[in-house]
Amino acid sequence: MDPILLGCLLCVILPLVAFGLIMIFTWRRPNLSLAISLVASTIPLIIAWTMLFKLWGIKEPLIFTFNWLVSDLVKVPFGFLIDPVSLIMLVIVATISWLIQIYSIGYMGGDPGFGRYYADLSLFAMSMLGLVISSGLLQLYVFWELVGLSSYLLIGFWYEKFSASEAGKKAFVVTRFGDVGFFMGLVFLTIFFGSLDIAGLNAAAASDKMPPWLITTSALLIFCGIAGKSAQFPIHVWLPDAMEGPTPVSALLHSATMVAAGVYLLTRIFPFMAASATAMLIILAIATLTMILSSTIGMVATDIKQVWAYSTVSQLAFMAMGLSAAGLAHGTLFAGYFHLTTHAAFKALLFLCAGAFIHHFGTNNFFVMSKEGGRKLTIPMVTVTIAALALCGIFPMAGFFSKELILGTLAHLDNKIWVLLGLFGAFLTSYYTFRVIFVMLFPRADDHPAWEQYWEEPEPHGHGHGDDAHGHGHGDAHAHDDAHGHGHGGHGDSHGVPWVMSFPLLVLAGFTLVLGFLQTPLETFLLGKSEPHEMSFVLLASAVGVALAGIGMAWLDWGRKTASWQGFIKQIPALETFFIQKWYIDHFWRWFLDTFIYGVFSKWFTYNDRRVVDGGVDAVAFSCIGGGRWLSFIQTAFLQFNLLFMVVVLAAVGIYLLMGR
Amino acid sequence: MTEHLASFPYLSCMLLSPVAGLFILLFLKEEQRTLIRGVSLVSAGMAFALSIYTFVAYDKQLGGLQFVEKYEWVKGFGITYFVGVEGMNAPLLLLTGIVIFTGVLTMWELQDRVKEYFIFQLALVTGVFGVFMSYDLFFFFLFYEIAVVPMYILILIWGSTRKEYAAMKLTLYLMAGSGLIIPGMLLLYSSSGIATFNMVALHAVQFSPWIQKVVFVLLLLGFGVLAAVWPFHTWSPVGHVAAPTAVSMLHAGVLMKLGSFAILRVAMYLCPQGFQYWAEFMGLLAAVGIVYGVFVGLAQTDLKYVIGYSSVSHMGIVGLGLATGTVDGLNGAVFQMFAHGVMTALFFSAVGFIYDRTHTREIHELGGFSKIMPVASAFFITAALCGAGVPGMASFWAELLVLIAAVQVFPVRGLAAIAALVVGALFALRVVQNTFFNKPNPKFVHFEDVSPFLGLPRMILIGFLIFFGIFPQTMVSLIKTSIVPFIKGM
Amino acid sequence: MLLFNQLETYLYVALVLFFIGLYGVLARRNLIAILISVELILNAASLNFMAFNRFLAPHPAVGQVIALFIMAVAAAEAAIALSIIIAVYRKLKSVNVEQATELRG
Repeated sequence: MDPILLGCLLCVILPLVAFGLIMIFTWRRPNLSLAISLVASTIPLIIAWTMLFKLWGIKEPLIFTFNWLVSDLVKVPFGFLIDPVSLIMLVIVATISWLIQIYSIGYMGGDPGFGRYYADLSLFAMSMLGLVISSGLLQLYVFWELVGLSSYLLIGFWYEKFSASEAGKKAFVVTRFGDVGFFMGLVFLTIFFGSLDIAGLNAAAASDKMPPWLITTSALLIFCGIAGKSAQFPIHVWLPDAMEGPTPVSALLHSATMVAAGVYLLTRIFPFMAASATAMLIILAIATLTMILSSTIGMVATDIKQVWAYSTVSQLAFMAMGLSAAGLAHGTLFAGYFHLTTHAAFKALLFLCAGAFIHHFGTNNFFVMSKEGGRKLTIPMVTVTIAALALCGIFPMAGFFSKELILGTLAHLDNKIWVLLGLFGAFLTSYYTFRVIFVMLFPRADDHPAWEQYWEEPEPHGHGHGDDAHGHGHGDAHAHDDAHGHGHGGHGDSHGVPWVMSFPLLVLAGFTLVLGFLQTPLETFLLGKSEPHEMSFVLLASAVGVALAGIGMAWLDWGRKTASWQGFIKQIPALETFFIQKWYIDHFWRWFLDTFIYGVFSKWFTYNDRRVVDGGVDAVAFSCIGGGRWLSFIQTAFLQFNLLFMVVVLAAVGIYLLMGR
Repeated sequence: MTEHLASFPYLSCMLLSPVAGLFILLFLKEEQRTLIRGVSLVSAGMAFALSIYTFVAYDKQLGGLQFVEKYEWVKGFGITYFVGVEGMNAPLLLLTGIVIFTGVLTMWELQDRVKEYFIFQLALVTGVFGVFMSYDLFFFFLFYEIAVVPMYILILIWGSTRKEYAAMKLTLYLMAGSGLIIPGMLLLYSSSGIATFNMVALHAVQFSPWIQKVVFVLLLLGFGVLAAVWPFHTWSPVGHVAAPTAVSMLHAGVLMKLGSFAILRVAMYLCPQGFQYWAEFMGLLAAVGIVYGVFVGLAQTDLKYVIGYSSVSHMGIVGLGLATGTVDGLNGAVFQMFAHGVMTALFFSAVGFIYDRTHTREIHELGGFSKIMPVASAFFITAALCGAGVPGMASFWAELLVLIAAVQVFPVRGLAAIAALVVGALFALRVVQNTFFNKPNPKFVHFEDVSPFLGLPRMILIGFLIFFGIFPQTMVSLIKTSIVPFIKGM
Repeated sequence: MLLFNQLETYLYVALVLFFIGLYGVLARRNLIAILISVELILNAASLNFMAFNRFLAPHPAVGQVIALFIMAVAAAEAAIALSIIIAVYRKLKSVNVEQATELRG
């Protein structure tokens, strides 16, 4: 067997086997489950990096396909498509999921669902790796749905917490809403084009072999799926709620890899999507709106994970903007894809740092963290600052390079409004990011009036079973560092974070610092050539300028000694409420669901079923009984009357027959 | 259709193994419960093993009708005992084998009138096996009725929640269906001019178009009652709720498939022109059923009602697939019969376990069951995810095939059915959340989880779901061997 | 032409017998009497069979066999009917059909 094929198969099968083994046999045994899962994630990691090095510089994609399902018109191949795009994503996914598995040893240690957690992580790894190297869109859809399933399981991991199970359900249903569009797109392509092979689609769309209406329709339908998975307006609402899951899960699924799957798909079929200018323009508009919207909400959130979640939404939108702008301007997919790569590193880092704080202080509110002395956790504090700088796009962090590229692509468009909006988004991003950083770095004195406003009792976070009395030595103990289950003192390190948790932080921080300088080799690898980017000085200056302006604004509002800790948005209360209420989009969906789905369809169909359909049948039955009752007057209980009647009728029949002769 | 005679009467053995078990049970005493269960398990297990054998040993290259046994019974009327296996009934025989075997295991804890229960259950299964393997119209109908009647007694004696009403409703409904089927069948028989009930021979006869139209609609509605085609579905949720666990499994898992299989095997096979005429109508009923089922299910609070309405929706997918009349659609429809059968069996099996312990099925009363019975909950959640159309489970592929074919033939209905998937997901997850997540109800915390022995039948069901989810081709390539000639012959 | 040797004679006798029986069944109120009248009707039928057998049938035994059957049936019927009558009597303390009105609609 071809070693590459074997590697691909192992990447998919090993985590699946681990999932099965843990779920069936070892879920009650944490250590064994951990060992199985780690083996099943380490081997794909090695395979992914080996493949990257072995295949560095490949020109032609490697394709392996087998028949998975052959009906008549519907033919689903199972196969692997190995090209630069999938190789890089494969490495990202394998690396981050391995790091998260390491990190979770510390974060999730002692949780009663430890085994199940690792099983779910393995399921995720399997489906994400499978998604990345799929050769056909339908196969990709299969893994896409499986990714959604593992996301559902992991968000609702602490299922006893109502908000967690609700968030899991919301995530699944909302993304399913988008996936239905995706599925319809696939059905259209199957019927009218006949094949869902990624390479074939890209080639056919690029060489005008498909009717334009088909490309536009199916591109937009497929974008529904992308919008669902990558949390674009108006179905982004599930992602912030998804933060109910354990923080490592947020880092892995809901920032670095799974939500990036949407953008990855956009990259994967970029030539196909780019063949329709209409679709590209719509995507650009939606992405821009999403970016502005999520940045504004990020400005007012007080939950550190919410801030990062909205930042994820806006960065994903930013990638989509880069890709669609490139599609419109006949550019390349590199800008968006590069940002996807760098974002994976620094956003995972941001979440893992947040996880370290949350783990330590038992709260998600960064004001509380600040008051409790968050900045004393040296490693997370340093790394979070690095990641924040990357998010803002400050040299020499990775984010600087990729953001510049995207802004450069936007600037290529004839309509300059897009680049201006992009810059505005970058400004907001810097502002809300450094709001968090400054609050954490510069806590006020204990009697500062601002505490009142942002203070929340640190609810026993305790992984959702804070109040269960099963005594896992965990529950409430988790909330406060002094009673911490696996006391950091025991590890003999002064920064208060176990090494299994700080090690991934350092690795990711390393990536964040280095990745940016790999721009040229990566571009050569992806596109076969590196084009010199004529970066206009004005754009560069304005990009860095808005980033610095945002940081400066944050400094004025939150950093300096005399800062009011109010935020400039406080000046406009209506707007602030609007942002705090998340632009009322959640309200809209809730209202929509209650009014239409439950209130109209479900209620009236049920009523119809009870009354009309079932009632009709019962009415037939009861009218039979009633008719019998009514006709029973004939039964006089006079035996000989009946006999006489019988004789008369018989005689009549007899006479009739005789006469008939 | 080429017929290959059996070297050994596998099918008759499959049919007779429950009968043999039934006769042995007649001579046992009620007190010998372990023996009674053992005998039922062995006879069900034999049928199961034979059904696996025919599924695996069917020669896909050869195709046609295999394992054929043919004996004349009443020569004057042209009645023959004619059984065989082809691509479209092999999965359903396998399904019946799976469900009866796991059903016997599921009812292991039954304490009330054990002997009679298993006797009736085995009688029911005999009928089901008979329908799936018969190629003689008379025997087809005979077995069909044999399968329907024991249901009445099973629900009436061992049921719960308004059982008299449900049993009566179900029986009357199905009898009304039979009342439509008999005239249709006799009309075919009398107008064929060859005085035979042999379906393969009848297929060769060119019936006049109007006879085909009349007969098709009679058979469609008559069998449609059993397949829970909208709007003849209301017996099914009520019946499921009232029936004891294994009967619900058999009922939703297998019996409803009798109806849809009969539509395919008898109505579409013998009256192709009638089918062309009524296909639009059939597709409409099916599409309405799909959308309707999920919305009504969304408002239910009894777990079994929820599953009942999900069955209405999923059987709509079967109907839609049949209505398309394309190879993809029919492949998908048969696959969906199988997948849905295993899935609902799993559903009811999981609910039955919980109901046996808690004596309630109200979603709001349960709550937090994952904490109390993680394994039992995992079974239900697996079934629910399968119902929501998660890939990696058999029903995903079936739905995929049907929906693609449906969009091709009936675009609007197909898209509506696809859109219903969202509500389907909401519907499944809502139940899972309310029943299994959140805080456990303190009333129930002392319950034990499923023992490995009782977990076995559920594991078998999950195993089949996942096996065919990962290797759909094993199923589709088999079904295709009969569907392709079937479509050609239409 | 001897009166005894003619088919019609037997048919008329049977006819008379039948109508007497029919009258008894319809007019009497006593269950025992009704039962006796039914026996008369049966006898009329037997007589018919014997007569046809004697004058028309090619094979001499057919009618006689049927007559024997009728006798057997009549015996069985009498047994069942009497047991019903006894049951009715036990319940109603009477064998008058007008008393038995439980099945009135």
